[in-house]
Amino acid sequence: MSRSQGLAVKYLAAAVLFFGVMTASGLMSAVYYIDPNFLFGLLHFSTAKMLHIDTMIIWLLMGFMGAVYWFLPEEFGCEPAGIWAAELLFWVFVAAVLVVAAIFVFVQWGPGTETTLWLFQQGRKYVEAPRWAAVGVALVMLVFAWNVVGTAVRAKRITGIMAVMSVNMVPLVLLYLIAFPKIDNMAVDLYWWWWLVHLWVEATWEILIGCIMALAVMKLLDTSRKIVEGWLYIEVGLVLGTGILGLGHHYFWIGTPDYWLGIGGLFSALEPLPLLGMVVHAIYDAGVHRMKTTNRPAFYWTLAEAFGNFLGGGVFGFMITLPQLNLFAHGTQWTVSHGHFAFWGAYACGVLAVCYIALQERRRLAAVEGPGWIWAFILLNGGLIGMVGSLLVAGMAQAFFERAIGGSTLDAFIAGQENAWFQLGIYTRFGFGLMFSAGYVVLAWNLLTLGRRRVVVAQPLPAE
Amino acid sequence: MHYDDPKFWRAGAVSTTVVMAIVLVMLTIDSLAAITAGGTHVPAYSVINRHIDYVYSDKFGRDMPVLGGEEPLFGRTRSETEAAALIGRGKLVIQSRACMDCHTFMGNGAYFAPDLTKAWLDPAWDAWLAITGADTKDEAMARFLMSPDQFATWERKMPNLAITRDEAEATVAYLKWMSAIDTNGFPIHFGRIKVEQ
Amino acid sequence: MTPGAFLATSGLLGLMVLAAGAYGLGYTASQLKRSRRWALAAAAAYAVLAIDAAVLIAATPLTPGWKILVGASALAYLGIPPLTWRYLQRTHDQKGAHA
Repeated sequence: MSRSQGLAVKYLAAAVLFFGVMTASGLMSAVYYIDPNFLFGLLHFSTAKMLHIDTMIIWLLMGFMGAVYWFLPEEFGCEPAGIWAAELLFWVFVAAVLVVAAIFVFVQWGPGTETTLWLFQQGRKYVEAPRWAAVGVALVMLVFAWNVVGTAVRAKRITGIMAVMSVNMVPLVLLYLIAFPKIDNMAVDLYWWWWLVHLWVEATWEILIGCIMALAVMKLLDTSRKIVEGWLYIEVGLVLGTGILGLGHHYFWIGTPDYWLGIGGLFSALEPLPLLGMVVHAIYDAGVHRMKTTNRPAFYWTLAEAFGNFLGGGVFGFMITLPQLNLFAHGTQWTVSHGHFAFWGAYACGVLAVCYIALQERRRLAAVEGPGWIWAFILLNGGLIGMVGSLLVAGMAQAFFERAIGGSTLDAFIAGQENAWFQLGIYTRFGFGLMFSAGYVVLAWNLLTLGRRRVVVAQPLPAE
Repeated sequence: MHYDDPKFWRAGAVSTTVVMAIVLVMLTIDSLAAITAGGTHVPAYSVINRHIDYVYSDKFGRDMPVLGGEEPLFGRTRSETEAAALIGRGKLVIQSRACMDCHTFMGNGAYFAPDLTKAWLDPAWDAWLAITGADTKDEAMARFLMSPDQFATWERKMPNLAITRDEAEATVAYLKWMSAIDTNGFPIHFGRIKVEQ
Repeated sequence: MTPGAFLATSGLLGLMVLAAGAYGLGYTASQLKRSRRWALAAAAAYAVLAIDAAVLIAATPLTPGWKILVGASALAYLGIPPLTWRYLQRTHDQKGAHA
């Protein structure tokens, strides 16, 4: 196994670890809705939520990096340029995440000064980490970009997939710089913040996972590179063609001119179209290969990726994206429902597919089998769909009672939160969260132990 | 056929991306002008010295912020520079306490606590005058922020975040300024209960 | 928009895309298995989509521009599975599926 693949395994392991932190802090966040006095005065909802959403970004980013480091040597036929720096920075990255988590839990906040932003808390959603940590993340990503682009330069050749990935590195890294400034004007702050968040998760990350899935499909189904590259370019065109101006669906209500209502609504409404194509493609691949592969979990997680992306991003997004409807649903549990489903489908499933691909090669398994992955698949997807459905009920109740009827005031907010349908959603969300958490435990155990246990067949005693 | 060649689709992807990116940049230049403080949609920071209302406009078919006469904040009229400094301080408080991880600002953030876009205009503050023993709304808000756990009116309480007097005044100023932003009607029919027909 | 109309319109929009997914699934399965039953299921799913789009256009308070978008989307969803299928067949037949 190459150094790059050795690093890949470390990143994928760290990804699964932080996936666990995300799950635990998510479960915690759900408890606050049920028991408002939970850890009051000690640890508040904001801290649990921060841990939950930040480790989500971190585990997915580490998953992507693990996937890329895994495939890089095969794509270029050599070790990546600067692999030594990447190996060093892995430990720095993990340590930094742990230190930031400790700061969130034990320090929580500081006085309203620039020093607080540098040392403890920046308080902007997804990028709450203090500036010193943001510097670290930026450095990690710069080295990551060097590992990809520098290798192409050194090898003096590049595949289509790696060319897409290399070009994608530029906006991926540059957009992260938006995590740094403190912008007084909330409208301007949110304007640029959405460039980071949307153009990551609905543009550059889509391209990145597209490249990773292209490499995965070549490995799983032995599909030709030319086919996969053609489809990758189609996906890039459609995703960026709809997603770049689809950014406008975050610009309805932040003080921006009202032409964004039309532009954002239109392009956002077009975003599900390529996702339907991906569903057709996934079913085609499944059918043509008659679901036969030596790595069934990887294949099933790849299918889950296509379906989850379509349902979570496409169906759930389309329900709330037109501006006259978003006016009611914006900033409610409906958003949470969509967000969970979309992130899971678009990214988490893909990372888990790569975990199993790497695992098969690392443990030299002829086939990846066993009940463990099936239980993990059922519990995680079932739990997620249950949570998303629960949050949909809660979100619809909130949008209806707080906004549509209630007048969107503090009293309306409270009435919405206390509404019976909302409460039902909150309780069932917790239940399905437990199911999801059980799925995580099974997944982690499965990844740790698959192919490692030797089955000893008892030999009959020789006849006397 | 040319569309059998991946290079055809590559050219399509490149050209689509470039065109969309150029349009985004052009719209950004226009939008930034509108959302800079003092622009068409976002008021200057000195709006904290004025009365702010939120009224339905038949012309635009939605609620619009309406600026009224003099209404100094905490009894003091501030210059544009002083107001900007106060807003800057308020933003530091909001970030240092991670308000966005419980509350939403123009619908963005976390959904555990109320949206703060029009919090300055919320009718609930009338009751808070009595609860906090304050004479004015701004004073009531500041007292609440400094000791939210003492003035809870609901089972879900805001924790005490050690907000000082200065920080509380800056935060109230921030909320007052933010309530005057033209958010294209969000949140929907604020303060008016709609009976389902 | 009344509260009831808002919920109903959101639901119809989500159902439209869901039906599109079901149609895509049914269409592709019918082509793979050369199955009449799957083809009928696909047709039924598209019928749901078409009725849903018609209700959105005729009976919701969306303004004309958005109704045109709904209609155009309904037509686009009709074409995407067959177009994708045809191009998949073409690329896999020409180049051979395997490297």
